[in-house]
Parts: sequence; C-alpha cells; structure tokens
Amino acid sequence: MSTAVKTEKAVKPPKEKRQKGMRIPYERRKALYGYAFIAIWLIGAIYFFIMPLIESLIYSFNLTQPTKGSMNLEWNGIQHYYDAFRKDQHYSQYLVSVLGDTALKTPLILIFSIFVAVILNQKFRGRVFARAVFFLPVIIATGPVMEIINGNMSTGGYQGGSEQFSTLFETDLVDQLLEFLGIYGISESLTETITTITSDIFNLVWSSGIQILIFLSALQNIPFTAKEAAQMEGATAWEYFWKITIPYISPMILAALVYTVVDSFVDPSNQVMKLIMTQESSWNYGYMAAMAWAYFAIVGLALGLIAALISKHVYYEV
Amino acid sequence: MATKKEEKIFAKEMKAAKKAKKKEMKKLGIKPNLTPEQIRYNRNKAILSTVWPIFRFLILFGLCFIILYPLIFMITTSFRPNEQMNDPSIIWIPKSLTLDNIKETWQTMKFGSTALNTIKLNLIASIIQVGTCALTGYGFARFKFKGKGLLFVIVILMIIVPPQITTIPMYLKFTYFNPLGIFSMFNGGEGLHLIDTGWTLYLPALFANGIKAGLFIFLFRQFFKGLPKELEDAAYLDGCGPFKTFLIVMVPNAASSFLTVFLFSIVWYWNDYYMTSSFLNDSATVGLQLQNLSSTLAADLFNNQAVGPRQLIVWLESGCILAISPILIMYIFLQKYFTEGIERSGLTG
Repeated sequence: MSTAVKTEKAVKPPKEKRQKGMRIPYERRKALYGYAFIAIWLIGAIYFFIMPLIESLIYSFNLTQPTKGSMNLEWNGIQHYYDAFRKDQHYSQYLVSVLGDTALKTPLILIFSIFVAVILNQKFRGRVFARAVFFLPVIIATGPVMEIINGNMSTGGYQGGSEQFSTLFETDLVDQLLEFLGIYGISESLTETITTITSDIFNLVWSSGIQILIFLSALQNIPFTAKEAAQMEGATAWEYFWKITIPYISPMILAALVYTVVDSFVDPSNQVMKLIMTQESSWNYGYMAAMAWAYFAIVGLALGLIAALISKHVYYEV
Repeated sequence: MATKKEEKIFAKEMKAAKKAKKKEMKKLGIKPNLTPEQIRYNRNKAILSTVWPIFRFLILFGLCFIILYPLIFMITTSFRPNEQMNDPSIIWIPKSLTLDNIKETWQTMKFGSTALNTIKLNLIASIIQVGTCALTGYGFARFKFKGKGLLFVIVILMIIVPPQITTIPMYLKFTYFNPLGIFSMFNGGEGLHLIDTGWTLYLPALFANGIKAGLFIFLFRQFFKGLPKELEDAAYLDGCGPFKTFLIVMVPNAASSFLTVFLFSIVWYWNDYYMTSSFLNDSATVGLQLQNLSSTLAADLFNNQAVGPRQLIVWLESGCILAISPILIMYIFLQKYFTEGIERSGLTG
C-alpha cells in the first residue's frame, strides 16, 4: 500500500507540490485520519465521562451543597471515607457480603455457562429454540421487570416462584442424599453451601446469558484441525474437553470472568449499590461519591488480582 | 480453518466411507481386526451416543423451564381475575380468563402514549449511537496512532464504571448545559436547560457515550478487525479517502453487525430506568412507569389505600407483560441477529 503511494509520488512530483495535504507522509496521514475517526467519541468521552468521573472524585473529598447548576464545595478531606468504613453501620458489612457473594457466584456461573455452551454447541434438534431461550434473560433481566417478577414470585402467596424451586432442592434432600451415600455428620457448612447453591439456581441460570454466548462463540472458533486430530488419536469426550476445549477457550474464560465480576458488582440490586443509591436520593452527594469510589477501588483491585492470577494460565494460539 | 460447510461435507463423507467399508467387509466375510482397546473405545462411544441425548434433553428441558418460569407465571397470572389469586385450587390454569387486568394497567400506565414516547427516544438515540460507535470502533480497529492504547483503556473503563458514579455531575451539566460558554452567549449566562428533554439521551449518544457505548465500541472494533484488509486497500488504490472507504466499503460489509448492535442498543435503552429516572422527571418511559407501577396502581385502583404487593400481583404482572411485549416480539422475529451476530462477530478474535 505505502509502496503504491510512493511510486505515485515518484511518477508525478509536480502535482505533489500543488496538493498541500500530500506532503504529510503516508503513515502520519493515516494516524491523523485515525484521530479524526475517534474525535467525536473523544470529545464526548472527555465531556460526558472523564470530567464527571473526576468531579465525582472531587465531591468525595468535600461537603457538597447543590446550587444552581453547580455544586458548593467545602473541603472535608477523607472524612467521608472514614465515615463510610468506621461509622456507617452497614457499609463494611454489606461490602463483605457482596464480595463473598461474588466470590461464590462467579465460579458457579462460569462452570455452568461452559457446561451449557458445550451442550448447545452440539448438533441436535431444537438447538435454535434452546439457544433462543437461554439468551432470553439478557433481553429481559436488565430492566425493572426482573425486580417485579422476583418480588412477586416470593410474595406470591401459594408456594410461589423461586421458593418453589428452593423446595425442590431443600436441605433435607441434600442431607438425605449424603446419608444415602453413607456420609454422616459431615460439617454443617458443607450442606449449607450446597443448599445455597441449589436454591439459587434460578438466579444462576438467569445471570449467565451473556457468558453462555461468549463461550459459544469461543467454542465455534476452535479450529477444525484440532478436532480432527483428537478424533484420529481416539480421544474420549472427557480428554477432548480438558486438552482441546479448555485451552482454546481460556482467553474467553478470562473475559467472561471479568464480565461476571463486574456485572455482579454493579448490579443495582446488590446491597452496596442500594446503599449508595439511597445516599444519592437523600442528596448526600459527597458521601455517596466517597462510598462509590471506595467500592470501585476495591472492585478494581479484586479484578486486577484475579486477572493477573488467571492470565498466567491462559493459552493464546500464535 | 475449515468452514462450516466443509465440516459438514467431511462428516458426511466419513460416514459414507465407514458404511461402505463395513459393507464390503461383510461381503467378504472378514471380521474387523480390532484391538481390545479399540473395541472398548467403540463400545463406550456407542453407549454414550444413545444415553447422552436423553440426558441432554432432560438437562435442557429443566433449564429451559427455569428460564421460562417467570414468563409462564406472568402470562397465567395476568389473564386471571384477581379473586382467583387466592384460590388454593388454582396454580397454573385459571378457571376463567379476563382482559380487564391488562386494560386497567394499560390505562394506569398510559401505555399508548408512553410506549410511543419511549420508542421515539429509543430509536433516535440508538440510531445515532450506532453510527458514532461504528466510527469510533473503526478508528480503533484500523488506524495506528499515538496514545491508542491509553485511549482504548478509556473505552474499557466506560464498560466497567457503572453510570451511577457519573450521573450527578452529568445532571448538573444538563441543568445548565453550557460547554465552553457557548450557550451563555445567546441567553445571558444561563446555558440551556436540558433536563426533562430528550436531549439528555441524544447528546451522549451523539458523542458515542450513551448507554453501554463502551461495549458497542468494543464490539465494532472486533467486527472491523475481522474484515479483510484487502477490501480497504482496493478502495484506497481506487482513490477513495478513508471516510468514503468507510461509508462505501466497510459499512455494507458490516451490515449484520450494525443490526446486532442496533438491536442491543434498543433493548438496553428500553430496559433502562436509571438514566431516564435521573434525567427525565416525569414518568416518560415504559421502564419508569413500570418502576413506579405499584404506587400508581395503589393510587388509581385502590384510592391510595395501603395495599400489599399480593393484592397487586395481577396488575403488576400485566404491566410486565405490556412492558416486555414489544421487545419480546422483536426478539422472536430477529432472534438470529441477536445470537449469531455476536457469535460470528469473532468477539473472540
């Protein structure tokens, strides 16, 4: 490409003098066009994203009083942060519970969605329908509809809704199963963990739509040659899964992991987010900003840590 | 990499060849000479291939039921008379059907005008947003410039940082919208009052900063990266500038991805109630109406008496049905573009 331009220049040098723009080297010109393409977004990002972000950081160090079109600020140091962690009754407690919740939920969602994606990637009748159904939560669950549904199903009178699912997998069942297997008196916490997992299956399924999609697309990008070679060598489905599938989709496991963690942290129905929102509606902007920034600093730290740990094991095909 | 079609042909050929071989062996009276390992492998495979489909069906059926459960619940509650909610003999199929709930909810939500208003807001914001996000994504996908990595970090940040953090400064900006003092020149130092107008949604969309814009930019970047470079090179050689190339060559080639992003944009604008509730004070969109439905219902149907959520279920569920029906209908007809668009985009690339 660049050679083409160069030869053109070599052939007609007089024309080049007349056209001013042509004097800029090709690479530089392309870079300028690159800036031109992202210029609209860059202006918007500075005005609608970076500036509000910095402003909210400033609010978090100040006492705020909204006035006409601006904020009256009074320097407050790190008092808001101190209050959030030391004085607020709920903040630290909710923070720990949300972190714990996410730590429990994320691996479950990932394993579940890999499992479903592998199934949906097989060829069978009704596959299109099944895919459509599994993706349905993405369409519906983002809105206020979900809150109403969840609320209604739990207050729904008769053994309604998500409780009905829970009863299907009630503690007794887990205990009985363990007893049946000849395992007695295993620690309470184990049965409890199993019970929380099974009773939460509704939320698990409903929050893994995007992840399933990500894994499906990753599975379809596994080269056919790898599949063929494994078949030739007589790999069982189990071996195939661990030695071919997992390495090939490992970059997407990282992506899905980040997505799941972010999704769970910023979910407006989790306790910390609700706490932050109540501060917003009572006009405590400075305090709210401090809580939000502390929360997202922790989230960012957690994300960075997870990504650093996982990315060592990610396999990239060169 | 083999394409889907080649894969299919290959599988077919393999099957046919195996069959022919078996037939021939039978004809000649030779028994296949297999090692015990091979026999075991074949047997295991045969067992798996008969049992697995049954298991797969059970698993998928169960999971599909879990996902569809709220929808079924919604449909069966919203078409039954309110009294039958308390009838213990009814769980799924009501004794009689009625449209009254839907009608009353329609009136409470003023669904006709609200839906039209929401569609207007959605369509304009989504169309603008798709256009600007595509431009940005193309810039990131195909040009080398200084600071590209750093700028792309901003895009990632836009995905990760929730809108709740930036809403209040945005609100202040919109109450007296006055970037660089441009508007104060016209009406005496006040700036434009944009709160409660559609501009609070259109303006960020116009600058590729609307709802989930970061994600869309990321998607477009992946789409454009996947297209062959020769396309543009040909256009450049024929004398097209980069913008003309983008419009004439790249956009038609990425048409299906445009549709995918557009659909997602519509869905997210439709479902959003946080941004709209912050910037639009009246209950202007379906999402907002739904959010406030239980209080408006109590006011309209029960004269502001305190009513438990249990008594409101039929109406609340009718509201849910009304609110999701446009999106659901769109999804049923365009389902292919939602799922396959993402899959084919090479999100993985």
